[in-house]
Amino acid sequence: MSDPINIRDLAVGSRIVLGSGAEVEIVSNPKDGVWLFARYLASADDPAIVGQEEMIFAQDVVEVRS
Amino acid sequence: MTMNGTRGYYSGLVDLATGLISREIFVNGDIYAQEQERVFARSWLFVGHESQIPNPGDFFASRMGEESVILCRDRVGSVHVFLNSCRHRGMKVCRYDDGNTTVFTCPYHGWSYGTDGALVGVPFFREAYHSELDKSKYSLVEVAQLCCYKGTVWANWDASAPPFLEYLGEFRRFLDLILDGWDGREGQVELLGGVQKWIIPCNWKWPAENFSGDTYHNISHRSVDLVGAGPSGRSRRDYNELAATRKLHVTIPDRGHQTITYVLPKDHPPQAVYQNSPEVAEYFRHCEEERRRRPGANSRLIGAPGEVFPNLALLPRQPRTLAVWHPKSAHETEVWRFFFVDRDAPQQVKNFLRDYYIRYSGPAGMTEQDDMENWNYAHAASRGVIARRHPYTYEMGMGHAVENYEWDGLRVPGRVVDLTKAMASEEPMRNLYRRWAQFMEADSWDELMTWRRDALREAEAAE
Amino acid sequence: MSDDRVARLLLTQEIAQFLYTEAELLDERRHDEWLALLAEDIRYWMPMRRNVKYGDTSREFTRETEDISWFDEGKDTLTRRVRQIQTGIHWAEEPQSRITHMVSNVQLLQAKPDAGAPREVTAKSRFLVYRNRVETETDLLVGKREDTLRRAGDGWLIARRTIILDQNVLLTKNLTFFF
Repeated sequence: MSDPINIRDLAVGSRIVLGSGAEVEIVSNPKDGVWLFARYLASADDPAIVGQEEMIFAQDVVEVRS
Repeated sequence: MTMNGTRGYYSGLVDLATGLISREIFVNGDIYAQEQERVFARSWLFVGHESQIPNPGDFFASRMGEESVILCRDRVGSVHVFLNSCRHRGMKVCRYDDGNTTVFTCPYHGWSYGTDGALVGVPFFREAYHSELDKSKYSLVEVAQLCCYKGTVWANWDASAPPFLEYLGEFRRFLDLILDGWDGREGQVELLGGVQKWIIPCNWKWPAENFSGDTYHNISHRSVDLVGAGPSGRSRRDYNELAATRKLHVTIPDRGHQTITYVLPKDHPPQAVYQNSPEVAEYFRHCEEERRRRPGANSRLIGAPGEVFPNLALLPRQPRTLAVWHPKSAHETEVWRFFFVDRDAPQQVKNFLRDYYIRYSGPAGMTEQDDMENWNYAHAASRGVIARRHPYTYEMGMGHAVENYEWDGLRVPGRVVDLTKAMASEEPMRNLYRRWAQFMEADSWDELMTWRRDALREAEAAE
Repeated sequence: MSDDRVARLLLTQEIAQFLYTEAELLDERRHDEWLALLAEDIRYWMPMRRNVKYGDTSREFTRETEDISWFDEGKDTLTRRVRQIQTGIHWAEEPQSRITHMVSNVQLLQAKPDAGAPREVTAKSRFLVYRNRVETETDLLVGKREDTLRRAGDGWLIARRTIILDQNVLLTKNLTFFF
């Protein structure tokens, strides 16, 4: 299990990896440390989701790639 | 109106036939608890000013009765008032005084709401809730009615309450006195930054009845008058212009609003005020001339302390401020004070007025301090077993109010007491408590909207 | 110890003594003597405080000369406040409160031109104001002060006082006393 990441100040445009392995790009950050609005860039489990925007929960963020 | 033996407001507590009101209404915990349902859950309450939330995402944490609410503007610019409590387990979703946000997020389990109140973020929605939770059922609790009037925002939890302007009735012109510019242009005020919030150890009805129009308590403020804290260096207010007027108590009986007001004679020139500041004196003089040029009777009215039922006090003139008396317990009130200036006034004028406001009102206000001392200890003295056997007298001037009052061509609405000779009366307090008793008794708004019944009867009689 | 360090040490103690003397005057209700310690152009400011998001410090305090604060005034208003108490009929201070000012954490921030022969000094301190009134009414107010003091003869005048009270909703019913 990876160390928790504080998502509060992550910049728009950052690429992050979720617990499922999917990669998303931050579209907006409400800076509450709990949620991000992000767009899917890649998902092995569900390729159809690429391009869709979703709210990402903090506990689901495992890595900041850029 | 229904008479309930256990409440018996008219028979036991508020007796308008004799002008005697029981001390119980101030100190009794059961009455206080009932007020939250009967008065605060169905009245129009002042929540804030639109200038506090100019942009999408802006919010201001406010209060309605005892409860925390969020005043905010959503992404498309609409104004909302929500209960500040997560639908899941109640934690406050907003714990900042004000700011800008895209979502309100609960720190307990992470539920998140848009600025339109919609539940948008539920952690593990697919996994833990199996996508079965109906998010649309769990938006932030929103007020039933909302009204933006000349920048002020009012809200009501009761869908069956009359619309705000109907609720105000003929009191509207007195609210206009604080919200319109000094020159009479509509809605020209801006709110000064910084809302004063402080706690006073008394029931909310003490300040409410005081601001309804206590013309008898100048002795409370004698020390301020002596040191000359007013804007012309004398007394606590400017009285030159008031010397030429008729001083009145105006009460709107079927709405429960009331005020002191001063009526200028027709064609009366502006008097010298704000003499401690040539810029303010000149600005005021210029505004007064403009005001006299505009159509409408308000140019002859000078604002003074007044009360919109139940707990919004207004002072349109010196100083210019709204206060909300938020109930906290039977024995405590949390006051929120808002101060206004003309949006277009020169900065020096705003500065001068701000200085005056701070030294006049609020906990550091030389005038308000003595009011609070009296409310504090009058309340405390009302609590005892023996004290509660002795009702308060609100008899002053009973039977001397008139309808269709007119002076020098200006007709004044409601029931009016001319204070020129009388000096003081307690008609405003009787008006406030009559309405309060009606609210405590009425099972529905239908019973409270007596003016609609009267209008219907008049129409039927005319046929 | 270097001359400068000694000078700073002595100056800090001198400032502390001044602040204790000032507190003494207020606690003893010697208000006219307290007014005499204020420069004619004093600014006396106590901002209100907001609960703000982490990092949003610019919004935490109301702004001097722009927003409504608890106090934001000069010597004229402070004098009127004293005169009001002295009328003997300022009911909020009649009977008068019993007040103790505790001053601590006195820190010398800056001495101009230098600590050896200073003409103007900025100093920070902490206060605990205990106010007891009538029978059982008690308030405890705690916070920080930042003062600018100006040399006047052998003593000092307060040219500027910023009072940072550690409260949001004010928990005392009035502010009839001085910080």
